[in-house]
Amino acid sequence: MAAGRHDSESRKSRESESHIDDEDIEEEEEEPSFSDPEDFVDDVTDEELLHDVLKKKPKPSDSVDSVIIVDCIPQVGKDRLEKLKNVIKKLFSKFGSVVNTFYPVDEEGTTRGYMFLEFSSPQNAHEAVKMTNGYKLDKTHIFKVNHFSDFEKYVNIPEEWVPPEPKDYEDLGNLRNWLMNKECYDQFSVIYGEGEKTAIFLNTPEPTKVEERARWTETYVRWSPQGTYLATFHQRGIALWGGPDFRRIMKFGHQGVQLIDFSPCERYLVTFSPLQDSQEDPQAIIIWDILSGVKKRGFHCESRSTWPIFKWNHNGDYFARIGEDTISIYETPSFGLKDKKSLKIPAVRDFTWSPTDNILAFWVPEQSNTPARVTLVEIPSRKELCVRNLFNVADCRMHWQKSGDHLCVKVDRYKAKKVENKDQVKYSGIYYNFELFRIREKQIPVDKVEEKEQVLAFAWEPVGNKFAYIHGEAPRISVTFYKIHPNGGKVELFKTLEKKAANHLFWSPNGQFIVLAGLRSMNGVLEFVDTQDMTVMNQTEHFMATDVEWDPTGRYVVSAVSWWGHKVDNGYWLWNFQGVPQHRQPLEKFCQLQWRPRPPSLLDESKVKEIRKNFKTWAQKFEMEDSTRKQTASKDLLDKRRTLMEAFREYRSRKEREFGEQKKIRLDLRSGVDTDELHNQEDNFTEETIEFLVNVEEKIVEE
Amino acid sequence: MKPIMLHGHERSITQIKYNREGDLIFSAAKDSQPNVWYSLNGERLGTFVGHNGAVWCIDCNWDSTKVLTGAADNTCKLWDCETGAQIASLKTNTAVRTNGFSYSGNLIMYSTDKTMGFPCEIFIFDIRDGSQLQSGNPMTKVPIESPMPKITSAIWGPNEEFILTGHDGGDLNQFDLKGNWIKGCKDHTGQINDIQAYKDYSMFITASADQTARLFDMETFEPLKMFKTERPVNSAAISTLHEHVVLGGGQDASMVTTTSTRIGKFDARFYHLVFEEEFGRVKGHFGPINSIAFHPDGLSYSSGGEDGYVRVHYFDQNYLDFNFEY
Repeated sequence: MAAGRHDSESRKSRESESHIDDEDIEEEEEEPSFSDPEDFVDDVTDEELLHDVLKKKPKPSDSVDSVIIVDCIPQVGKDRLEKLKNVIKKLFSKFGSVVNTFYPVDEEGTTRGYMFLEFSSPQNAHEAVKMTNGYKLDKTHIFKVNHFSDFEKYVNIPEEWVPPEPKDYEDLGNLRNWLMNKECYDQFSVIYGEGEKTAIFLNTPEPTKVEERARWTETYVRWSPQGTYLATFHQRGIALWGGPDFRRIMKFGHQGVQLIDFSPCERYLVTFSPLQDSQEDPQAIIIWDILSGVKKRGFHCESRSTWPIFKWNHNGDYFARIGEDTISIYETPSFGLKDKKSLKIPAVRDFTWSPTDNILAFWVPEQSNTPARVTLVEIPSRKELCVRNLFNVADCRMHWQKSGDHLCVKVDRYKAKKVENKDQVKYSGIYYNFELFRIREKQIPVDKVEEKEQVLAFAWEPVGNKFAYIHGEAPRISVTFYKIHPNGGKVELFKTLEKKAANHLFWSPNGQFIVLAGLRSMNGVLEFVDTQDMTVMNQTEHFMATDVEWDPTGRYVVSAVSWWGHKVDNGYWLWNFQGVPQHRQPLEKFCQLQWRPRPPSLLDESKVKEIRKNFKTWAQKFEMEDSTRKQTASKDLLDKRRTLMEAFREYRSRKEREFGEQKKIRLDLRSGVDTDELHNQEDNFTEETIEFLVNVEEKIVEE
Repeated sequence: MKPIMLHGHERSITQIKYNREGDLIFSAAKDSQPNVWYSLNGERLGTFVGHNGAVWCIDCNWDSTKVLTGAADNTCKLWDCETGAQIASLKTNTAVRTNGFSYSGNLIMYSTDKTMGFPCEIFIFDIRDGSQLQSGNPMTKVPIESPMPKITSAIWGPNEEFILTGHDGGDLNQFDLKGNWIKGCKDHTGQINDIQAYKDYSMFITASADQTARLFDMETFEPLKMFKTERPVNSAAISTLHEHVVLGGGQDASMVTTTSTRIGKFDARFYHLVFEEEFGRVKGHFGPINSIAFHPDGLSYSSGGEDGYVRVHYFDQNYLDFNFEY
């Protein structure tokens, strides 16, 4: 900037100087000789003299970007050339003003089946290439449209393919090292100190620090879905860390990256940056291969949809995004559009993948006379598994159960609809339906549960057949549990807990236990419920809690007050699944706690069953271990106290000796009065004898 | 444990102190009239009338004959304890922040605030010398010059050897009676709100805005213990009976209006002196505790709060029976 300003200023001054020169010349009667002397050597380059003018000199490459080549146009004779030109012109003038056209012809004047076309700007050319490549003029003529500059690119490709240099294999150690912990302690990451510090803790009875680094990340961190990698965010991109000592495994350069998403298989990483996007080379969203660090494909981010824009299926074979009237499904590892075309669904609003199967659920709102509908499609066959028509729909929310057995569509339905100034639709008399799809049963039967009150939150039991939702308006908020009986059984109201201060539901990852939490505005009320028999195990509170997180095994829960949400009392508290407090950790400007996820269990179902069967013997063993640990822990504490006490006693006896030695000074200062002991002041007492006459009696003593 | 509430002040309490025997409680508040109470039943014995601004500090000599008060009306006044009559009034340039009688009661010291272009200064008077009190010419004057921050709390050292000062930035310093600097340290990171000595003056506890209270060796400034909280600590006291300390504080007074009492954490908090472990809290005040003191016999304690109340607590038997396992 500064340099540019300087240029223009110097240019201005030079202009004014030359102006004065002109006047001088006019005034002078005789024109002096301006010709160079014989021996003058012009050692001033044009660059120096005229660099500002030269800058504007057109370069041969300037217009190249605006030129496109249209191939596969009809070959016509002279007589019909004019007509062809008209057709072409009509087609391409849509994209901007056509500056120049050129139709190469052979000796007879017949066109050669391709032509050149120049637009006024490269953007127009780009648009034209994008839109007309593959344009069908008629059956035999499908246009192939390319940038002129691309030709150069393709011509320069070397004839012989050179295989890329294989990278040296680098031993990263066991990336799943943390799972080898004998006691199965879980890890969690903690960001604190206003984001300055990031630490990894092991959830031993008193959490122990595994690793701590200052400025490890610039914003926050994320674990990969199976816990292998820890992703840190930086201005320049994303870094992944892992292995026993959290070494850097890979980095992905994406300027200004803000959001990321892992594929469930941990093979791909999706990054999003709001900066930097060019028309030709999409950079807003990039999908990377995690192991090689190679960029697989870039995408534009056109729609303002919510993250993640790309939704992965359960094993990472497909990923899909929603567009206007379409759902585009891409496949890995080719990263091409599946079957070369998107699913055309007019007015589609939202979609989700089943967490366990290749099933896609999407919903379409009401259009004129057709009702809203929810559709389940099997991928890749694109077979519709189930279609459910719904009436009077204001909005839908799809909730898959984690084990993929059920899908619940929460439908906001209205009694009356009013259209206000065109697009503003106002609904009144909203009530709620839960449409429950039983995915595993034949033909996918659908049940319906109605709710009149406002629904604030909904959550499936991750494993099992219950779901819970919060409804009502403060202060009369209730939590209702339903149970789905399998194989055509009915959907049964299980229990309603009334008058609860809750706005979030957190099921244990293994089901059965749930935490009802009233976060933020509800002051951090926590309630631990066992849904087997609906007993409230503990009613407690972590004042002003902003987050609740279960550990991946369902043994512990963390409630936290994040500095991002609340500025004082930041820290986290650990509870067990019954709501018994385990550990309280206040932490200066604590921001975020995340449990490290675990990969799915390697045990097959029979093994799991076996373990369940022998539960008692296992429990005995664990209880033994626990009690010995507790004993050593309390012993450690007592030992610690004892040493502290001994050291202090020693200090005190030294001080008391010194104090004793100074007694004389003290007595002198307080004029001989000993005040060392509060009530020991015998020395101060002066004895006074007071005698007074009680009685005088005269008695004659007889012999 | 039902406290005795002392309603005698219209504004926030700034400092409370027991006399040596513990039968009297002296309380100073922002309402310019310090009070003296019987600690046993909370009956008010009298007031010291004469100040014309917030009274920041109060002290009583060892034989409970004289009382010293310092106030924002730029005076430090000496009173007769028994009659409440003013003996002397010492004029200063700025508000008197801290004061105290020496061990013998013959010397007094006070420190002034750094405001209106005047520096923070320590003054030492010999009250046996009537001319000093009358003329206002101190025995010693110690200006506290920058970069040393102003004094926010001060007490006499053992046997009137030196004066111990706590400063705005968290520094601690010793000055001898001639005004010479002896030594200093900076372990705290926030303003020192209060300093209280152990009964034998071998150690002292500091209360700081950095949300900790610390125990130091009086002589060497060796940090002995640290007691952590989540709020600024305004006052801390050491029990004479058990190895216990009590901390008082809470959310900053200026921020209290926007927060509830629960978030303010205005509880008095009891810690074990040696293990630094918290073992009990006493609720009650609905503003931060500004000053806290143990009875010299350790069987009761009092706290004065921003809410204007002094609460006298006699411990229950279970406190006296409670012992840490070690």
